[in-house]
Amino acid sequence: MKQINAILEGVGSVVQLLFRSLSYTGSLPRQGARFIEQCYMIGYTTLPIVAILSFFIGTVLALEAGYAMQDFGAKEFIGSLVGLSMARELGPMMTAVLLAGRVGSAITAELASMKVYQEIDALTTMNIPAAKILVLPRLAAVLVMMPVLIVIANIVGWFGGSVVARYVSYVGISPQAYFAALRHYTKFKDVMNGMEKAEVFGFVVVLVCCDIGLNTRGGPREIGAAVTRGVVVSLILILVLDYFVTKILL
Amino acid sequence: MNTTQQTARVGLFFLLGVALVWVTFETLSDGKIFAERTHTLIAGFDDLKELKNGDDVRQAGVKVGSVQLTRLAGRRAEAVLQIDPKVPIASDAVATIVMSGLIGGNYVAIDMGSNGAPSLPDGAEIRTASTPDLNTLMSEIGGLGKQLQDSLGSFSKAINGDGKAGGGIIQKLDKLVSDNSSRVDATMANLQEITGKINRGEGTLGKLVNDPKLHDELLAAVTDIRSTAAQAKEFVANAEGIMDQVKSGQGPLGTLVYDQKSADDLKASIANIRAVSDKLAKGEGTLGKLINDPGLYNSAQVTIKKVDRTLDGLSDSGPITAVGIVVNALF
Amino acid sequence: METSCSKTRNPFTGAEANAVGVKVDGVSKTYAGTEVLSNISFDVLPGEIFVLMGPSGSGKSVLLRQIAGLELPTVGTVRVDGQDPSLEETRDRVRLALVFQAGALFNSLSVYDNLALYPREHRSGTEASIRERVMHALRILSVEDAVSKFPSELSGGMKKRVSIARALVMEPQLLLYDEPTSELDPVMSATISEIIATLKNEYSVTSIVVTHDRSLALTIANRVGILMDGKLITLGTPKELAATKDPALVDFLYPKIDIQNPRFKKLENQKTS
Ligand SMILES: Nc1ncnc2c1ncn2[C@@H]1O[C@H](COP(=O)(O)OP(=O)(O)O)[C@@H](O)[C@H]1O
Ligand SMILES: [Mg+2]
Repeated sequence: MKQINAILEGVGSVVQLLFRSLSYTGSLPRQGARFIEQCYMIGYTTLPIVAILSFFIGTVLALEAGYAMQDFGAKEFIGSLVGLSMARELGPMMTAVLLAGRVGSAITAELASMKVYQEIDALTTMNIPAAKILVLPRLAAVLVMMPVLIVIANIVGWFGGSVVARYVSYVGISPQAYFAALRHYTKFKDVMNGMEKAEVFGFVVVLVCCDIGLNTRGGPREIGAAVTRGVVVSLILILVLDYFVTKILL
Repeated sequence: MNTTQQTARVGLFFLLGVALVWVTFETLSDGKIFAERTHTLIAGFDDLKELKNGDDVRQAGVKVGSVQLTRLAGRRAEAVLQIDPKVPIASDAVATIVMSGLIGGNYVAIDMGSNGAPSLPDGAEIRTASTPDLNTLMSEIGGLGKQLQDSLGSFSKAINGDGKAGGGIIQKLDKLVSDNSSRVDATMANLQEITGKINRGEGTLGKLVNDPKLHDELLAAVTDIRSTAAQAKEFVANAEGIMDQVKSGQGPLGTLVYDQKSADDLKASIANIRAVSDKLAKGEGTLGKLINDPGLYNSAQVTIKKVDRTLDGLSDSGPITAVGIVVNALF
Repeated sequence: METSCSKTRNPFTGAEANAVGVKVDGVSKTYAGTEVLSNISFDVLPGEIFVLMGPSGSGKSVLLRQIAGLELPTVGTVRVDGQDPSLEETRDRVRLALVFQAGALFNSLSVYDNLALYPREHRSGTEASIRERVMHALRILSVEDAVSKFPSELSGGMKKRVSIARALVMEPQLLLYDEPTSELDPVMSATISEIIATLKNEYSVTSIVVTHDRSLALTIANRVGILMDGKLITLGTPKELAATKDPALVDFLYPKIDIQNPRFKKLENQKTS
């Protein structure tokens, strides 16, 4: 009962924060510097880890597919398998997971620290809403940066698959054949589909992590607890949302 | 971190993203940015099989459009095809559903139709034909079939030529024969005369052919030849390698086929054969005597036994002999 | 209230506004069953300097948070210029500044940006005029050298001064100080006293000052309230307070260091045993 209450409270708080942030959308043009800073944090600094992970997801997909398909001569379909699963599912999903781990945790830590050290209170007395200058730029930045991360994740993952397809002995498919199969079965629609998914994930991760950070109570010890909670809740939400968003977008 | 530097990096990063989205878009959707005007054709089938929206429409293997929609229309199934308006589809062109892979991957193939036929207008219905599934399936059998095709391909290239200078063995032989047709004719006449004699039981060979006892022995020899030929088939693959050598002019056979001098030698040999056959007809020489002299009957019998033994030995021997057989068969 | 006609004047723009009063009415605050404030009532008149004193842990900071509208009292009401300070509209209308006990500077911003944040967000003036205001405030508190530093590079006293400067830049009508001189040397403490007095005399800024500094309290205060264990035990002018005979108050205001105190004896015993 207590847990249900806590969940409902959390949902209510997140929804409230969402609407409060959105009500300041008009102030976004004047928050250019903050927006750029958040873009830098969310996009630019997250790129390396996203690229590395995507590359290896691509290779593993190709490896598994090649192994499973070698027996019935369907190796030519590796390209399409890697292409589709990367674009529709694994690209968005893994990028969102990395976002939760890398950006979500940082956001929660920063806002929780601001809360604990009364910086948020100082903003309140100054009548500068945290939703306006702390949450809104982050939400805008994640919406702009997520497609960029996703397209890079896709391309790097596809490339990783092609490397395995070419050099692993039991797969042994030329990059031309690999990419031909990929192109034949993966449509831009699929990439768009993945991006829409990623936008939902990224937006929710940032919003939830902001909310958990801003609702931190107590001393510095609570900052760590808030970060853990932010990441765990984000990961659960990504997995749950994945099912529903996939269903809606299918 | 300098703010302007940060802004520059974010800007660069964003532009990179936009560029990559664009590249992805261009490669995955063949660059159709704005839905360009397309031609629509309706293709009715009894069964659309595995055909799905978005599958290719190809003419002579070239993609000319895609399947926009599949639907049921009364008692038949219809596929709405979107065709590149720059590609005219002849009014008597026929659309078929072709399976391009074992797992899914169908497309609609449209043939060229006849040359002068008017092209189909937008929204028209195209003629269709149903295709036997098994045929396409068989062509996909994969490994074995492909290998077989490859080796047969190089075989026929060796024999028929691949369109490059000189042509293949057959063309060469053809030329050789037509160049020497008068001589060959004469040879043929002589041969006819010889076979006539043989038929009538004249001479040693005639006896040979008309004697039932000898006939049985010959039959045994032929059986041996057959089994040898069966073995020879196994070595076709090896022969393929040698044929490649022949094609590139290596080895004696290659020289023979591709070298003008060898061709001249061959002509000379043919002239000699004519001379020999002339002599044979007149009963001159050993072979002539064999044909014309019944006394030689016995020694011929001995010779045939020897041939028999040779063939026995042949069946035990390796690929080189088999190649010999193949090469002999070609000439 | 008879002084409500007095005007606050913006120290920088000279714009006038009504001086604001504060009304604390029957405020109690309970945290998880523990009562931290119990039934506190007092008025702070517009343009008045109100000093709150009390031992550590008596609830002074909590009371300031209720007045600033950061928290809602469990029982009772707080009114700033007649309105609930926790509402955004009230804070929109009444410029209210709180100097936090620990400074509460924005750690991710430089000192300059800390001070410039408020005028920038509320679009008061050009960047050049904002710069002028910021530098002026820093100069008053002798921390202009720290302008491009980050809070983590400052000492405790510097943080406190920057935090007071940040409050000044807001041009507040109501200024709440939470132990503004606790980490400062006597010279700086005197400067703070001057600032508070000047803001009152020339600009009619209402001030509520939480402090342990008896001399500061007795020199600048119009009235002094003393909090003990969450209760307001005395409320009066510095003169009344100085003349008090209440033993509890005397003990608090003029503590004697007694080496012979049995408490210290106990400590000694513990050490040797
Ligand atoms: N957020 C809080 N939750 C629980 N207890 C609190 C909280 N804030 C303050 N307290 C308690 O209230 C009492 C008064 O605290 P405070 O007002 O900070 O004292 P001071 O008078 O020294 O400023 C202390 O006992 C403190 O433990
Ligand atoms: Mg305190």
